[in-house]
Amino acid sequence: MTAAGIHRPPPGAAQDRPASWRALAALRLAWLYLVSRRAPAAVALLAPLGALQWAALHWNWSVAGGGAARQLVPLVIETGAAAVIAVTTYGPFGDTERATGRWLPWLRLVSALLLTAAAAGALAVGAAGGHLPGGNLAMLRNLAGMTGTGLLAAAALGGAFGWTGPMAYWLVTEGALAGAWTTPWIWPARPPHDLGGALCAYGVFAAGIVAVTLLGARPGPGARR
Amino acid sequence: MTATTSAPVRQQPPRAPRPVPLTAARLLRIELRRSAMPWILPLIAAAFWFDSYRPSTSQPPIWVLRTFWNMGQGHTIIDFGPFVAGLAAWMGSRDGRRGIADLVTATARPRWAAQLATWAATALWAVGAYLVFIAVMFGVYAHQGVQGTPPWWWVAVGAAAVTAFSAAGFAVGALFPSRFAAPLAAFGGFLAMAMSSQTGFSHTSGWALILPTNSNGNFQPPSGIFYPYLPDLPIARVMFLAGIAVAALGLIGLPAGAGGPRLRRAAAVVTLAGVAAAGTAVGLAGTARLGPHGMVIPALHDAASDRAIRYTPVCGQSAGVPVCLNPAYRQFLPDVNAALRPVLGEVAGLPGGPARATQVAGAYSSSEGEAGAPMTITGRPPVLRMPLGSLNLPGAFGGSTAQFAQQLRLLAVHAFAGAGRGPGTPAQQAVQAALLRGAGVPFAAQPGVLSSVGLPSWAPATMQEQATEQGKDHAPAPAAGPVYAAARRLAALPPAARHAWLASHLGALRSGQLTLAQLP
Repeated sequence: MTAAGIHRPPPGAAQDRPASWRALAALRLAWLYLVSRRAPAAVALLAPLGALQWAALHWNWSVAGGGAARQLVPLVIETGAAAVIAVTTYGPFGDTERATGRWLPWLRLVSALLLTAAAAGALAVGAAGGHLPGGNLAMLRNLAGMTGTGLLAAAALGGAFGWTGPMAYWLVTEGALAGAWTTPWIWPARPPHDLGGALCAYGVFAAGIVAVTLLGARPGPGARR
Repeated sequence: MTATTSAPVRQQPPRAPRPVPLTAARLLRIELRRSAMPWILPLIAAAFWFDSYRPSTSQPPIWVLRTFWNMGQGHTIIDFGPFVAGLAAWMGSRDGRRGIADLVTATARPRWAAQLATWAATALWAVGAYLVFIAVMFGVYAHQGVQGTPPWWWVAVGAAAVTAFSAAGFAVGALFPSRFAAPLAAFGGFLAMAMSSQTGFSHTSGWALILPTNSNGNFQPPSGIFYPYLPDLPIARVMFLAGIAVAALGLIGLPAGAGGPRLRRAAAVVTLAGVAAAGTAVGLAGTARLGPHGMVIPALHDAASDRAIRYTPVCGQSAGVPVCLNPAYRQFLPDVNAALRPVLGEVAGLPGGPARATQVAGAYSSSEGEAGAPMTITGRPPVLRMPLGSLNLPGAFGGSTAQFAQQLRLLAVHAFAGAGRGPGTPAQQAVQAALLRGAGVPFAAQPGVLSSVGLPSWAPATMQEQATEQGKDHAPAPAAGPVYAAARRLAALPPAARHAWLASHLGALRSGQLTLAQLP
């Protein structure tokens, strides 16, 4: 006698449980997943970044120069928020989790979206401290794009090194702003209502979300060190 | 009980050499193999190429101009430091992340010593990579025939900065072990560099000179060509960064698990020594004053650094007048000859007309770029002395050959009209405009030339004077008004008549006694 061919529980086994219990179980699963990714700690870090944004705008910590130079400090803070989100994709369980976690892609998706929303909220609150170049619309676009680079880096290099994506993008942006580039791929250089910049930024965010949802963060070789 | 006085004295056996250095070397070798730093080097290499090397290639092949962005403004540090800090934090948090901190505390080696080995491996990778990347970049520059001397002291500052970032990042990771240590250390690095730029660009003196991205008053064209780079400020910066590194490394030896009481006391002393070194360096930077060749810190200054670099000038001919430049500017000799030719041709045979033109060192300014120094005509026979460093050399910061030629002509005719360091009298301005028109710069283009970047302060002052005369609030004003009207009259004369008028009136013009009404 073997169990071969049995892929599903006996009819009625799961359905007997009340819907509230299933909802509670789903919430608990989501919470456990978020805790395993240190999402609460990430939120606790995003809040001070919002405060930093507020302080930077309130006390005018802008680099001397034109409009491009004035964007640099807010962009650094948005980069920090994106880096924190990217690092939460790092999972300590590896193949075990991949093999058994049926809901894993959905959990990854929910986690990334929730943390991005939290970051956007924290930075939007921080933007009340003064004049944010481009306003909240540009901040949302930049944050989404940078988070996308972080999620893509996590998928390619490993969750532990996901932070390198937004940091590298900031460096490229800094050089491009100094050189007065206008390509939409350097979306912080474009006006807040620019369609090309928005398409590129949200496109990168979507690509990052898809990559992390479907593939998860790669267990990179450096992460074992 | 017996007396033991006659007992042979036991010879203490020779102590076996302590195995500590060998053990430390083995530990370091293991850590070098296990370090995560090599994994991030390709990314840093790409950032280095994009942000440090690529923009520099648009500058003329002179070391101080090629390396202004990447060394003078510290972009090699921006490209390396934050990534190194992040990776160092990752390595520093290793034991804590894996939950084996207690386990390794119980090993034979003190925890602090083991952590220092891990940091040393991380720093060796980072500083080694930095030096290799710089060597490759400088090698490419040398292959391209870049002139002058490389800014070696700024390389030392960069290496010290990378070491400091690695130590600070490692301390963050060791003291707050978590997955967020790496991104937060890297973020802190970027924020520190952005704030350094923010403070550096706006501070031309005082403590802010210690910031490695502050190029105010310390990285300008005379250096490496006419005079050596002054090492005063770089020495203070190396001291500051080394102090930060030592203090950060001392900090990780302070917690209870780091070692025994003696070791922790030593760590406290190391931390204080680091803080003292950094603080001393900040204090030294506060005493810096601007000298003719860069920032001078009296306590660190060596008079030997003020000696001019000897060179044999390269010379050409322009309208029969020898024109000599520093060999570093050899490639601009044809442009200078071509630019001066119409001016020297116009003033040939007139009193005070230069018999020779020679390049001289410009003076340092307290801001980012060299002070726009005026040309002068002095000596007997008269020599036109040209500080070229601050002008828009073709290729430098977007400058074109035409702009360069126009600026040279303007400076030469200004010197010839005897206006000195100020805008000059209205008559001098009118003669200057007429000569400039004769040298091929139309009246309509002259306000644009006067307002271009890199000229001495008399140029914008001239513009402002002319704007005021025309009843305008601010420069640039169009080429109109009484000065340009007189200049147009003078320029309209036949060349021989203009030459004759200048020959008879130059003395009065230069002494400032001529009025606009006395112009033909």
